[in-house]
Amino acid sequence: MVIATTKGLSRAHEIYTDRGLRVRELRKAGKKIVGYVCLYPPVEIISALGLVPFRVFGDMSEPITAADQVSITVVCPFLRSIIDLGLKGKFNFLDGIVGAHTCDIGMTLIISWRDYVKDAPFTHLIDVPHTDHAPAVDYFEGQINSFKRHIEEFAGEKLTDDKLKKACELHNKQRKLVRELYDLRKSDPPLLTSIENVEVLIAISSLPVDEGNELLEDVIREIKSRSIKPPRKKARLLVWGPVFDNTSLYQLIENADANVVIDDTCVGTRAFWADVKAPYNLHALAQRYLVDIKCPRTYRDSCHQELERNYDKDLDSRFNYIKKAITDWKVNGAILQSVKYCDTHGYEVPNLRHYLDTLGIPSIYIEHDYSERSLAPIKTRVEAFLETLD
Amino acid sequence: MHNLISHLYFAGIDIGSTMSKAAVVDDEGKMLAYVVGPTGAEHRLYANKLMEDLLSKAGLTLADIAYIISTGYGRVNVPFADKQITELTCHAKGVAALFPEVKTAIDIGGQDAKVLKIKNGRLVDFLTNDKCAAGTGRFLEVTAETLGLELNEMGRLSLQTDSPVKINSLCTIFAQQEIISRLSEGELLPDILAGVYIAIATRVVKLARQLKVEMPVVFTGGVAKNAGMVKAMETVLGVPVLVPEEPLITGCLGAAILARDEAFKLVQRGEYEGHRDKKLTEARIDFGDKSK
Repeated sequence: MVIATTKGLSRAHEIYTDRGLRVRELRKAGKKIVGYVCLYPPVEIISALGLVPFRVFGDMSEPITAADQVSITVVCPFLRSIIDLGLKGKFNFLDGIVGAHTCDIGMTLIISWRDYVKDAPFTHLIDVPHTDHAPAVDYFEGQINSFKRHIEEFAGEKLTDDKLKKACELHNKQRKLVRELYDLRKSDPPLLTSIENVEVLIAISSLPVDEGNELLEDVIREIKSRSIKPPRKKARLLVWGPVFDNTSLYQLIENADANVVIDDTCVGTRAFWADVKAPYNLHALAQRYLVDIKCPRTYRDSCHQELERNYDKDLDSRFNYIKKAITDWKVNGAILQSVKYCDTHGYEVPNLRHYLDTLGIPSIYIEHDYSERSLAPIKTRVEAFLETLD
Repeated sequence: MHNLISHLYFAGIDIGSTMSKAAVVDDEGKMLAYVVGPTGAEHRLYANKLMEDLLSKAGLTLADIAYIISTGYGRVNVPFADKQITELTCHAKGVAALFPEVKTAIDIGGQDAKVLKIKNGRLVDFLTNDKCAAGTGRFLEVTAETLGLELNEMGRLSLQTDSPVKINSLCTIFAQQEIISRLSEGELLPDILAGVYIAIATRVVKLARQLKVEMPVVFTGGVAKNAGMVKAMETVLGVPVLVPEEPLITGCLGAAILARDEAFKLVQRGEYEGHRDKKLTEARIDFGDKSK
């Protein structure tokens, strides 16, 4: 057993800068590490079987070069970055990888991984329907069941009700701790920066769930007791959009006289807001992942089977959770960001901006190509946006 | 109330990707002088030189300038500026100073294009195209080079026709190939040039339509100096556009007016004197050393 020399926020920073740090140690000690892409593979099943779930992210500072051999260039650069890192051997500590059909490229990523990366002996793709209607939930439950059978075989172990219950409780505890961490940014000024927040969330996504929970408890204790606080700034912003697994955007925004106090992103709230509800069975998992995670890849249709489509009702059923966040975190502006070629998020933007307009929340939409170098023009736009809030 | 700065002046300096501009205004916001020149590679040195030229043109010294705001792509490289504000806010301010009723402003510079929505003289929304030089001043320069023409001459020639050729590609490289092949097909030069302007206008109007175009529309930036471009813009938009006498300087003019507003704010808060003393000492040293 290797004992970490750092604690709390410095431990989070350490793992953020070297994400494989702890899982490489665990692997040496005989643990199996299972990577997962996006939010839809149920991590509870991975944990319950004694495997370590490891959220796979890309690397914005690594130019994409190897991926060109196996993918076209006009698709999601975040997913391209993952396959690029895989081809370069940077995920060679993974024993398996699980993906889901969250979007078409998300699906082909897993197929390419199986065919070209080859490092991991276990690969599995979960099909995910695109609406939250009842028959879709039932179908998704079937998909979770076949994932369960496949990974049981790989782990050489059966998933019992008891093991699943324990894992659900541990992951729910993690979600509760994350929500506590977010509560610390409700004050003005917030008690931690969005940069620290992202580092902590990425760190716990790279640790076994119990170690992640311990880290969260340390971090919350540290933040509550420290005397230095982030300064009060002109704007309290919400950041929306797909995965941004890097602090650079938050640094850019916070340097421009704004605190990011809440987000609706795949690294942040979307990953941790919803709990699995008792009884902790596969149906509860299907419900949690397909219905309760609020990602635009699933269409939350309020007018299903109604003859008249009501636009306002539709917007409200899709976005009212954002309205709640805006009120609770006292937000006065929103930055909508998306990675280039993400049609899932791109199509959502006009509706969401309209919805924010009706709430009186000014917003800006920025698109980036998932590289740290491309952020300079974004800086001017963010600064100009903040100037309009004067 | 403002007697501390009542006979002082305020400057704005706009370091753009291609051209740099500076303007000075008096305590009523009236412009006294402006200067324009190419940016080059040495932003800092050039910012100093531009400021010297501006002062000599206006017959002022640095001590007469109460507050300086820098803007534009190179705004961080103006060591003597009191504050930096983005070119989007500055352009909106400058355009509104010249056309108080303005609701939409379209600016095409050397390497970017922007659309500003302005309400009561303030920037309320904007969009920029800054990922690629297609449809910007650089695109026109490359076209002029390809054809061996001067930019002004290109504009004049394009006005001779009412039947522009359709240019499909907007990538700077592909469009040049398309122009060459149209020439070899025997299309007339004025028709091709008019087509080039229409293609650029179409691209930026697409951006503008996302924000909803409201009249009056003001067209600025180096590209607005081109008569062919102005005509194409009006054709594609379907409404007349207003062009300032000197379309390059709305950014630095806005910065100068914002400098005046900013200094007044400091005076009101009783913070001006301290700020100025500190700034003037720093600026003198910096400015003096580098202008030698």
